[in-house]
Order: sequence, then C-alpha cells, then structure tokens
Amino acid sequence: MSGNTTRLGSANTYDNALRQLTTRQANMASLQEQITAGKKILRPSDDPSGAAQAERAITRIARVTTDQRALEVQRNAVATAESTLGDAVKAMQDFRTLAVQAGNTSLTITDRASIAQQMTTLRNQILGYANEQDSNGQPLFGGLGSTAAPFTDKGSGVTFDGIAGQTSTGALSVPATLDGAATWMNVPTGNGVFAITQAAGTSTVYTDAGKVTDPSALTGANYSIAFHVTGDVTTYDVINTTAGTATQSGQPYTAGKAIAFDGLSMTPSGQPVDGATLNVKPSTTTSLFGVLDSAIAGVRDATMSGAVAQNVAQALVQIDSGMSRLQSSRGTAGDLLNRVDDISARQTDRSIQLEADRSRAEDIDQVKGISDFQTQQTAYSAALATYAQIKKQSLFNFIS
Amino acid sequence: MSLLNVGARALLANQIALQTTGNNIANANTVGYSRQTAVMSQVPGQFTGSGYIGKGVEVSTIERAHSDFLTRQATQAASVSSMDSTRASQLASLEDIFTGGASGLGASVTDMLNSLSDVASTPADIPARNVVLTRADEMAARFNDAQSRLDDLQQGVKSQLGDSIKTIDSLAKQVASLNQQIARAQGGGQSPNDLLDQRDQAMRELDQHVQTTTVAADDGTMSVFIGSQPLVLGSSVASLSLATGADGTQNLVLIRGNTATTIQGETLGGGAVAGLLRFQNSDLAEARDLLGRMAMTITTAVNAQHKLGVDLDGNAGGNFFQPIAIPSALPATANTGNATVNATVSDPSALAPSSYQLNFGAGGSLQVTRLSDGKSSTFAGPLPVQIDGLTIAVGAGTANPGDSFTLKPYAGAAGQVATAITSPRALAAASPIEARAGTTNSGNLTVSALAPAKADPNMTGTVTFTFTAAGTFDVSGTGTGNPTGVAYTSGQPISFNGWNLTLKGTPKPGDTITVRAATPGYTSLNAGNATALLGLRDAAVFDGAPMSDGYASLMATVGVRTQSAKYAAGISDSIASNLETSRTSVAGVNLDEEAANLLKYQQAYQASAKMIQIAQSIFDTLLQGMR
Repeated sequence: MSGNTTRLGSANTYDNALRQLTTRQANMASLQEQITAGKKILRPSDDPSGAAQAERAITRIARVTTDQRALEVQRNAVATAESTLGDAVKAMQDFRTLAVQAGNTSLTITDRASIAQQMTTLRNQILGYANEQDSNGQPLFGGLGSTAAPFTDKGSGVTFDGIAGQTSTGALSVPATLDGAATWMNVPTGNGVFAITQAAGTSTVYTDAGKVTDPSALTGANYSIAFHVTGDVTTYDVINTTAGTATQSGQPYTAGKAIAFDGLSMTPSGQPVDGATLNVKPSTTTSLFGVLDSAIAGVRDATMSGAVAQNVAQALVQIDSGMSRLQSSRGTAGDLLNRVDDISARQTDRSIQLEADRSRAEDIDQVKGISDFQTQQTAYSAALATYAQIKKQSLFNFIS
Repeated sequence: MSLLNVGARALLANQIALQTTGNNIANANTVGYSRQTAVMSQVPGQFTGSGYIGKGVEVSTIERAHSDFLTRQATQAASVSSMDSTRASQLASLEDIFTGGASGLGASVTDMLNSLSDVASTPADIPARNVVLTRADEMAARFNDAQSRLDDLQQGVKSQLGDSIKTIDSLAKQVASLNQQIARAQGGGQSPNDLLDQRDQAMRELDQHVQTTTVAADDGTMSVFIGSQPLVLGSSVASLSLATGADGTQNLVLIRGNTATTIQGETLGGGAVAGLLRFQNSDLAEARDLLGRMAMTITTAVNAQHKLGVDLDGNAGGNFFQPIAIPSALPATANTGNATVNATVSDPSALAPSSYQLNFGAGGSLQVTRLSDGKSSTFAGPLPVQIDGLTIAVGAGTANPGDSFTLKPYAGAAGQVATAITSPRALAAASPIEARAGTTNSGNLTVSALAPAKADPNMTGTVTFTFTAAGTFDVSGTGTGNPTGVAYTSGQPISFNGWNLTLKGTPKPGDTITVRAATPGYTSLNAGNATALLGLRDAAVFDGAPMSDGYASLMATVGVRTQSAKYAAGISDSIASNLETSRTSVAGVNLDEEAANLLKYQQAYQASAKMIQIAQSIFDTLLQGMR
C-alpha cells in the first residue's frame, strides 16, 4: 500500500489496516451470502450477462411449464375423445346386432317395433357421445370451431353446427378437438360406390348392397332396374336414367342370380311383381345419424319382409362404413396421443436443459464457494493476528 | 557568564522542542493535523580575538511538515472517490429495483402472458380469464411499484443534493473566514500552522462534495473555483443552488452578486454532488426510459391485439390496459411560438428508450435529437413526423423557427400501467374471423393458424383462396387486390386484410380455403385472439428482442452500469487511499518517531540542565578561590 514511502503516519496506518480488514470482512460476508443463497449472482451487477442469461432461462422454463400445461389439457381432451369413440364403436356394434336381428323375416311388426325402440335408444346414446365435452367444457368433436354442443338433433336429422376440418398439430401442441364432420357426418351411402334403394311401392324384390366388379367400367350415372312379369316369366330392364338410354333390356330374372352392368353387380332376392323397380345411384355422403335413422325407420316402418331385408342389407353396409369412420378418427386420436407423448418428452428434456443453463449462469459451485470461503477465512485470521501483533509494537513500550 | 546563558537558551529551546513533540503526540489522531517541528538555529557567535565563540541555540520557527502538491493530489483523488462511491451506492439502490427471478418485474410480465395459455385452452372458462386479469393487475402493480421506487430514489437524490449544497455553502464560508484570519496572521511573519491545517481540512471536506481548483495568493489566502467559476475569492463567497433544466436534468448554479452561472453536471470532476447529478441525469433517466418504454410497449402491443378480438359476449375487444398518455413536450422558456407538441405511439415495436430534443428550424423543418445516443434526424416538415415508433405532431398553435422542446415519452409511463377491463367476460379471447376448407377439398391441406394481426377495415370480409395446379393459389376478396398465382409454402403465414393465415399440407388443384367473419355462435369456444395474444411473447419489440426477454436486457443494462460504477469506485478508492498514505507520509505523525524525538530532546534538555549546573559549579569554585 505504500511502496516507496519510508515514513508512515501512525493514524494512517491504523486507518489503512482497518480498511483492509473491513474489505476482507465485507468480501467474506458477500461470499457467505452467496453460499447461503446458493447463487453466485445475487444482484445483476455481480455478472450482468449471467443475470440476463439466468433471467432468460427462467422465462423459458416458465414458457415450457405453460406449454406443458396446455399440452396436458390437450392430452386429456384427446384421450377423452379416444375413449368416447371406443364407447361409440361399441354402441354401434350393439346397434348392428339389433339390425341383424331385425332382418329376421320371421319377426312380426310388433317385434320389429320393439327392436326399433332399442335401436333408437342406442342412436340417442351415440348422439350423446358425439356431443361429449372434455373436463373444461370444450366439445371433443368441434372441428375448427363450433358451438358447445355441435351436433343438433333437428326434425330432419342431425346437423353439425361447426366448421369441418382440424387444426394442424404444432411443434408444441396438438389439436384438442377432432374433426366432427369427418367423424360423424361423412358416411358414404350404400357400399361407398353406389346405393340401391327400392322405388316407392316396391317391396317384394330386394338386393344385397352390391359390389364393384370392374372399377374402370363405372359411369357414375343413375340407373333404374325395372321388373316385368309376364305370366311366369320375370324379366328386367336396366335403364341409365342419367343418359336416358337402356343399358340392358329383357334380361331373365332369377332370384339369387347377379344382375351386372357397367362394372356393377348385385344379387337380387325375392319375387318381384310387375312394375317393381330398384334404383341405383352413385354413393353420396350422409351423416352417421342419418344412417342410424334410416336403419331405424327401415326396421320400424317396413311392412313387408322384403322391404325389411332390403333396408337391413343397406343399413348394415352403411353401419360398417360409419364404424370405420369412427375407427379412423379413433386412430387419429391415438396418433395425437403418441404425438403428445413425444412433445412431452421433448419438453421435459428442454426444461432440464434450461434448468441446467440457468444453474450454470447463476448458481454457485458450492465446493468452490466453501473452499474460497475457507481461504478468505484463513487470510482474515492472519490479517487480524498480524494487525494485533504489529500494533503492540511501539517505542513507548521501551521508555521507562 | 555565557555558559549559563548558553545553557539557559538550550534549556528553553529543548523545552519548546519537547512541547512541539508533545503536541505532535497529542494530535496524532487529529484529522487534518500536520506534524510540526521546532526548527532550531544557532545564535550567531561573538567575535573575539580568538574567533567567533558560539552563543547557543534558539528556536527560529515552528515548521509544519506539509507538501502542497501531495495535499492537493490527495484531496482531488478523495473527491473523485467520493463521486464514484456516491454514484455506485445510488446505482446499487437502483439495481435493487430491477431484481430477477420470481419476485421480479420480468416474472410478472411472463406470468401475465403465460396465463393467456389457459384461456387459449379453455376460452369459456371464467376462472382462467380471471387469472389473466389478476396477473395483469399484478404486473401493473409491479410496474407502478418500480416507478414509485424510482421516484423515491429521485427524491432521495434531491434531498441529498440539497444537503450537499448547504454543506458546500457553509464550508465555503469557513474557507473564506479562514482566508481572512490567515491573511491577518501572515502579517506577523510566522506561518499560522493550525489555521492552514484547518483550511486544508475544510478544503478536503469541500472536495468531498464538489471538486474544486484552488489558486493561492501572496497574502496567504486561497481562492476556490468550481469548474472555472469562483466559489471563494479571498474572503468573499458566492452562493450555490440547483437549477432544473427543461429536459429535467439538474445542474449547479453559482450566484455571485447579480450574475448566475450554470455549471453543467458533466463538467464536475468529482465530489458527491457530481456523483448524484451524474446518477440522476444519466443513470436514473436511462432506467426511467427503459422501464417506461417497456411499459409503453407492452400495454400498447397488448391493447392493439386485444382490440382485434371478440369478447365472450360477442362484442369487439376494448383496451386491455389503460392507454398510457405521452405527456406533451416541454417548451423551452425562450420559445417565441405558442405551439404545443404531442406524441403518440404509432409502432410499439420500434420504440427506443430515450427522450428527445425537438428543434424547429426555418420553413417548418424539425430536427429531432435522440438524447440517449445523440442521433439527430432532420425532417423538412410539416408535422406530424414519425421517429422511433412515435408520431410527433403539433397539438395547437404554431412553432416559430428556433423554438425547441423536450419530449420525455417514457419518464412516468410505468406509473400509469393499469388494467382497463374489469370483467373476465370482456377479455377478447375470440378471433373475429374463421377459416373454412372447401367441402370438396381433396388435398391434405389443414389450417394451422389464423389470427388477426392488425386493425383493418376489411378484416372480416370474405377472402377465398383457390389453389391451382402449380402449387400456387389465386386470391379473391375485398381488400386483397385479387392477386393470382401466389406461391404457396406450407407453414408460411399468408397475410391479407390484417390477418395472418398459416396453412399446412399439400393442396390439390381446385382446393379452396375461405377466410370470413366468425360465426357468432362459435365465438365463446374460439380462442384465436388469446393465442395471438400469447404469440406476443415472441413479438420482436425491444430493439428486436422478444417481449418476454425485454426485462432481461433491461436488467443487464442497469447491471452493467452498476458493475462499472462499482469498479470505478473501487479503483478511485484505492488511488485515493494510496495518495492519502503518501500525504500522511509527509504530514502525518509517526508515534515511534515522536518517541525517539522525546528521548532526543529529553537528553538534550538534561544536558542543558547539566550545563547550567556546571556553570554554577565553576562560579562556586571561582568564589571559593576568592575567599
């Protein structure tokens, strides 16, 4: 402190020694504060860039926590949707069983009415599933936006009060709602390519759901199959009603023998009366509830066993398509859940990483801290001891 | 009997020397005391035939061990050290306002923005909305608290400055009166050691408050100058006071007679006053601007986004925070025009933490100087002009060339942060628009995000995107200009009419996406605007840094200032203490030395006494011989 000074002012040496001791003491106090708090940065000025780093890391950790929480909400919603779809599929299977049961030609109208009653209950249950909400009151099948209960049961059938589609999965989030339109409102009529219905007044002849034999020959036109009974001979004409031309005419009819034209094939049953007509139309989409409603109506309202058979055959195919829609949505939900797990794992890693960043920036290395503290303590003790020793020395001690 | 005379003189001289040594010992711990020495000189000898016979010793003067140079150096260094340590301790209080971690201001901003995530998850959930309001209130409270603590610091600085100035006045008077006494004493031919010590000490104390320069006069008086302005001239004193400039900075004013002279704070080289002025005019002002800018940016950006949304009752969103009004620019007293100049925020992401100096020139031109870095921009006029995200306009009246104004947009902004909405239902979480994919779309195009970004009259107009074979799309709708063949990139935002739409996936030709006004019935479950508000976390607003990181850089800025002030204080303290050691090596009392001197003069005194005894005994011998 006084390199080339040979003469020392006594008061100044006291002051200086005291200042040195105070400084050491202050350093020890600050180190002790750091060790107690476990942080090497107690104030931004201790290390401004380290403090900023730590602050940024804390902000990011808070962000990850927030995103994780939002993700958990999404996980719950998707998991609920997934299990709801599982329940819906089960209800659909029950419904299908009832439909098959109703197809039994030996049943009376009363029996069928009773089955229709059970089917209606199941249908309402399935509608309930479609309007299911997650624990926060968000509809599970709202698509891109909807009302709280997007599926409304109107007199004319169930409508979807929402926007079809599904938001994309983000880097850190998954959609919490599934596409209600794709899940519940998009069942193809008939077998998915064409649908066969009995014309008004026709009930004695019925077919299966038909199949495509040659996809390249399909025309996409409407057809009607008109049956003619002359004496014992039953024949049929196939008319392309879109083009207004006859595709086939005067074909002999045998129950169980396929009617095939333009790449289509169907197997008729029953004994048509003269003038009976079957209509073939390209498949359109209807809602799952439309399928259920028409199945119920087909069972409840049919008076003839032939009509029941036709309705049940058509209904079963459509029920199966509907179920496959539900299954596919369920698959989507499963994918989303997997994705949630991925994101969650990634976020956990990230949060560990950020915590490490924060710790590196502002936490004290306790081993180093304690070692530093002991070094300082030793130095301080030495300073105190020498101070006391030196201050004892005075010429006055020797003057007697 | 000259031996007796010589002995008596020596006795007297050594007694004086012993007394001086005793005085040194007595004053060993007196602040400002300079060691004194009895200067002995021989009495000229008596000429005789056998040469000059010595006639003994006398004390010619009591000398003060003193080095003007070292005293001056030590005083100056102590003055600088006082400035640095005053500023460092003020900055330490300042940085305590800007702490990090969960209790800091930054955490409240993050919490407020993050709480919107719950609303985005469950838009209709009233508790989640309430949490947002509570968090916003908490954030407002922390901003207000920081502002009031800054104001407290300002008050503290003001009262400390007042105290310092009182002390300077009284010390200046003391120096003047000592000057007078010294001049009078100097006439006696001997140096008035104790008065000189007292004056040096008064100067040291004066320099603790403000650094001075001194000029010594022949009559022993010392004139004291602050900067180049005389504080003390001989025995006359000027009085000191504080003046506040139009830009809010404070400076010293020296009043002598009828003239008042302003001394700029930056020109002071040391002293607590310099430290306080520097802290107040630069450090505190910067902290205010940084804090105020942060408050202004966050409230303006959140309000702008919030207003684009739709609340739970289907009404358009209002202000989320109370808008912060920028105070009108302060006109200079010399202005001849009667204009009032106002500023409004036009782009919250471009704000710079600074005050501005506005100077009107000829022909309505305007020069705007950013005070934080001195960057000056000239506008040909007329107003309004845009600078750093602010629109500066004349409110009323006209400005004459030469008029100047000081605009301090952010100095008090943080104190005005307050939430404007009180009902959780009024939180505009829903988006006013929705996107629909065409029912016949065959590609796997999905809507990734759609959010309103800025106010636009055509916001809710229907806009249809029709994809063409080449992976491009055509746009149709009011306000879009109906461009065709726009290139499509999956995941890139498409912006029209104030909204941003992000699509993902691959479209097939003929696929369409329609953006249109939201269906009213879906609003309560829509969280489009809450997500957009959440997106503000990443909005580049603070000189390009995202909103959520704004506080970290503020903290670092204040931290760096404090750190460098601490370093400066440490360095100047060690310089000051070294120079003080050097000074005391000349002027200070060393007790061991004094002990040696005591022995030395005691022995000399005893020897002198012996001399007298011998003189007496020779005289006796002579008398006996004569008997």
